Amino acid sequence: MAETIDRELTMSRAMVEAIATEMRENDEVFYMGEDVADYGGIFDSTEGLREEFGYDRVMDVPISETAYLGAAVGAAQEGMRPIAELMFVDFFGVAMDQIYNQMAKNTYMSGGNVSVPMVLTAAVGGTYNDAAQHSQTLYGTFSHLPGMKIVVPSTAYEAKGLMHNAIRDDDPVMYMFHKRLMGIGWMPAPDGPKTPVPETDYAIPFGSADVKREGEDVTIVTLGLHVHRALEAAESLAADGVDAEVIDLRSLVPLDTETVVASVEKTGNLVVVDEDYQSYGVTGEIIASVAEESLGALDSVERLALPDVPIPYARPLENEVIPDAADIETAAKRTQ
Amino acid sequence: MSGESDRVAVTLGEWPEDTDSDEGVVVNWFVREGATVDEGADLCEVQVEKVSVDVHAPAAGTLDEIVCGEDDEFARGDTLAWLEPN
Repeated sequence: MAETIDRELTMSRAMVEAIATEMRENDEVFYMGEDVADYGGIFDSTEGLREEFGYDRVMDVPISETAYLGAAVGAAQEGMRPIAELMFVDFFGVAMDQIYNQMAKNTYMSGGNVSVPMVLTAAVGGTYNDAAQHSQTLYGTFSHLPGMKIVVPSTAYEAKGLMHNAIRDDDPVMYMFHKRLMGIGWMPAPDGPKTPVPETDYAIPFGSADVKREGEDVTIVTLGLHVHRALEAAESLAADGVDAEVIDLRSLVPLDTETVVASVEKTGNLVVVDEDYQSYGVTGEIIASVAEESLGALDSVERLALPDVPIPYARPLENEVIPDAADIETAAKRTQ
Repeated sequence: MSGESDRVAVTLGEWPEDTDSDEGVVVNWFVREGATVDEGADLCEVQVEKVSVDVHAPAAGTLDEIVCGEDDEFARGDTLAWLEPN
């Protein structure tokens, strides 16, 4: 099989490949959401699934997130393995009770009598001028709440392995895919998320951060789109004699503190980059976790995240608030 | 390169219906130059207006040369790449 070795996939195709494989192997796996059947997902998250599996297993739903996320929770508790898609993570507000009180807590509230083996997929992120209600990542909002695992792929390879692991997990998993990484025609991805992807299935365990670039001088911890911006910054930094290590968290819950701490104990300097709001979020959590484990290793700390403002629609304003490679480079240099 | 005459042109075979444009854009390549592919393998994804279409390998062989890279525009009938059959 020549193409096994040589092919590369976009992130969306890698996601779909994992979902299709699980659907072929397990009749209990099904997908529902808005525009996921005929349209194939507005960010290509389900492209081709309806054609193979039909409307019973790939369902377009009415615009009531409470209704269909609640239906997914119920189906999961009865032994099915639903994947339900929140078209934009920004829409969680109308269905939050189903997410954080039902999906996330029903195993606990039932004394372990039910499991909720569902995957909640959601498109996240900005950089394409979709304004304040369609551009958020909300990583911190969901990671704050107990009872669900939170995963964020950065490449096609990660997207497939994390999706297999998410569907097979017996507990609820929120799978947050960044729109800019999917490889959509009208929203070109940066170089990086399209990677070689094995045709055989494989699972990437949660709580295993990936060192995307090794370095000695500064540790840059990030996730999602900003893995690629950090790698771009690392190239510029290398030209200036600063050797950056780039860590892709891959999951926020569980969080691989061990990999981050080991890196900071090597470099002494920590830069955390997040596309979510700064206050009470990912940057503070990572820095606090390192400080608890290894305070003495920290010589210098920087954090980059969105200032606590609604994400602007206007391109120059949005570009200003979302950290870019130059911002990361500057922050890393401040630690030296 | 010897045997250049044996190379097979990779083109978008069926232009998508319901489109008014005679131009498209290459969105993604799934294989790199030098890669070995099976007949029918997905080579690239192109878009005509808002319709995405996959372009498949016309034969088994080696992808010799990519003519239209990602984000490049092409016209109906243009050669997107050259394939060296096995």
